[in-house]
Amino acid sequence: MMAGMTTIVRTISRLLFPFMFLFGVYVLVHGHLTPGGGFQGGVIIAASVVMLWLAYGLEQSPIGFKLFRTEVLEAIGGLTLATVGLVGLVMGVGKFFGHVLPLGNLGSLFSGGDLPILNIGTSIKVAAGLILIFYAMLRKIAGEEL
Amino acid sequence: MSLNYIVAMLLIALGLYCLLLKRNLIKIVIGLGVMTDGIHLFLISMGYREGGIAAIVTGEMLENAAGFASAAVDPIPQALVLTSIVINICIVALALSMAIWVYHHYGTLDPSEIRRLRE
Amino acid sequence: MIEIAPIMAVFLPLFGAFLIPIISMVSKRFHAERACNWFTVAILITTLAVVAAMGAAVWGGGIMVYKLGGWSPPWGIVLAVDGLNLLIALIVAGVSSLVAIYSLVYMRQETRLDLYCVLLLLVTAGAMGITLTGDIFNLYVFFEIMSIGSYALVAFRRKWDSVEAGIKYMIIGSFGTSLILLGIALLYGMIGSLTIADLAQKLGQVAASDVVVPLALLISGFGIKIAMVPLHAWAPDAYQAAPSSISALLAGATTTAGLYAMIRVVYMMFGAFGVGTMFAIFGLVTMVLGALMALTQRDLKRLLAYSGISQMGYVLLGVGLGTALGVQGGLFHLLNNAIFKVLLFMCAGAILYRVGTTNLDELGGLGKNMPITAGLFVIGALAISGVPPLNGFASKWTIYIAGIEAGKAVFSLIAIIMSVLTLAYFLKAINAIFLGQRPKRLQNVKEAPLTMLFPMMLLAVLCIVLGVLPSLGIDLVAPAQGALMNQSGYINAVLGGI
Repeated sequence: MMAGMTTIVRTISRLLFPFMFLFGVYVLVHGHLTPGGGFQGGVIIAASVVMLWLAYGLEQSPIGFKLFRTEVLEAIGGLTLATVGLVGLVMGVGKFFGHVLPLGNLGSLFSGGDLPILNIGTSIKVAAGLILIFYAMLRKIAGEEL
Repeated sequence: MSLNYIVAMLLIALGLYCLLLKRNLIKIVIGLGVMTDGIHLFLISMGYREGGIAAIVTGEMLENAAGFASAAVDPIPQALVLTSIVINICIVALALSMAIWVYHHYGTLDPSEIRRLRE
Repeated sequence: MIEIAPIMAVFLPLFGAFLIPIISMVSKRFHAERACNWFTVAILITTLAVVAAMGAAVWGGGIMVYKLGGWSPPWGIVLAVDGLNLLIALIVAGVSSLVAIYSLVYMRQETRLDLYCVLLLLVTAGAMGITLTGDIFNLYVFFEIMSIGSYALVAFRRKWDSVEAGIKYMIIGSFGTSLILLGIALLYGMIGSLTIADLAQKLGQVAASDVVVPLALLISGFGIKIAMVPLHAWAPDAYQAAPSSISALLAGATTTAGLYAMIRVVYMMFGAFGVGTMFAIFGLVTMVLGALMALTQRDLKRLLAYSGISQMGYVLLGVGLGTALGVQGGLFHLLNNAIFKVLLFMCAGAILYRVGTTNLDELGGLGKNMPITAGLFVIGALAISGVPPLNGFASKWTIYIAGIEAGKAVFSLIAIIMSVLTLAYFLKAINAIFLGQRPKRLQNVKEAPLTMLFPMMLLAVLCIVLGVLPSLGIDLVAPAQGALMNQSGYINAVLGGI
């Protein structure tokens, strides 16, 4: 019911989608070394999916979207954040958000204590949340009930 | 740089003008966003130091920690602005969703006509 | 174990809010639809217990400090709990638990109950974060969390009046919080630190003319939240169109947290006791305007909204007087306001649940059908008007005496006249709803369900107990007032750990 765009736009966005997704994952994973991090990576990932929706229309988009799966992903992202904080409290470090994983060498990828896991949790929640917001708005404007 | 502050104040004034005097709910929400962007610009330019470098620590800077600390720009306002941008996204999304429902019930987006709850 | 209590009180509602989508998905498999509501009640009662457990350490005048992540202030975020924080945290946690119990029945027909529970827990987490933190940007973030949750809850039913009230509240509220952000930005540029104790220490050496702009911005921002006149335009619509349990939550929890933030920032951080006269005058204007507008209302929830605005004027008058007795009276009235306002909104909700309308012209003679609700409404109305021996009289008497002692007898006189007006419009409301002729179509209205009556009866008992034994209320409030005036003790306790 929602009209897509012309053939040129559809082809280019289908070609660009994997690169945008990969770039979002790159920004997210290197969050403790370069500018970026959980929130920024999540927004880029969500933007890549929404770009496909706008180009193809909500029903014919090549991304298979299931509402239930996205809601579960969002809840898992939030729980990861909260659990990492609790684990810091419980497992003997004694402080909330204390580091459990080792602080490695400066500048290498596996360093920084708990920060990579926090980044991944944040980005899952942000990406799922923004995708759900756009899905709800697009369906409501097209006249269907939510 | 006083140019930053002048532009920030201009953005806040323009956002305030849109918020108060426009006759369309979407434009009011855009005005709110522009005003918050002006506040963010003001906050970031307060952390600037003349001739400063970005506040990212790499390997070779670790030997000269004191020199790095005096040459880098202040990273705290940047963290504050990141948090505020996230909050702003939530506010704009919620306001636009409510505007969609207002259009569904009232048929218009003019705030002077959305006044059925009187007195 | 007790030293992690501050962070647990903030973290428990937040963790519960993240768990509810999973619990609702599992419970839909087993056809136990309302499991998420029971889970919300359990989490909020646990939060109340955690807050009460901190009481023993703090009521003697001590201050409990918790450093987040082990970083000491002023480089890290710190949670500092003293007597004032504990009083407000008890009010917020208590009101939220009672609203959750009330919602077990009131929101029974909703299909989106899990969304309602998530938002309720988020508003509680935000309010607890405001009351327990010691860092001003953390205060702003939790203030936004609480505000966004309440915007969504006001527009929850998605009918025409809910979305109109919701978008009005939302735009005015977000404008207020961006003013707060601008004030914090100016303060950071001037001082360079974000911890409240550190700012309090360093603001003592800054000239008075430099802090006028941040102080004005912060007072305006917080004033929008507590519906201080002339910033109250959103309040009547929002209270009228929201579901009644949410109106009770707004009146009890979010307004209390906003007033706490205003008092903490103005009195303890800026040390500006001279601003008190302005607070007292704004309080008087609020009181007068609220009472006068409430006299002409035809809808019960709108009348209660204006009377809530008027009661906040009493609190501002008491706190603004600046003397020990005045501040005690103001804080005691804040506690009492939470108790009787929540009770009155819950009664209005019970009437709406059984009858379907709250328009005073269409109701009448319900005293025979709903005797318990009528009795509880009468107790609430007498308490809010300051009739002895209920709790409203004790706190208002303290404010009157404080006004006379501070040399401003005119303020006390206006406050007494407004109390008489309050009694007048509540008697009119009681007459229109519970006495008089009963229309034909209201013959078979039943009494409100027991689960809805239970929190109302608890609040009415508290009204009577605090009224008959006012020294109990003063015992709760005196540590709060002592903590508010003890600025140097707070600074030493928070920063002294370095």
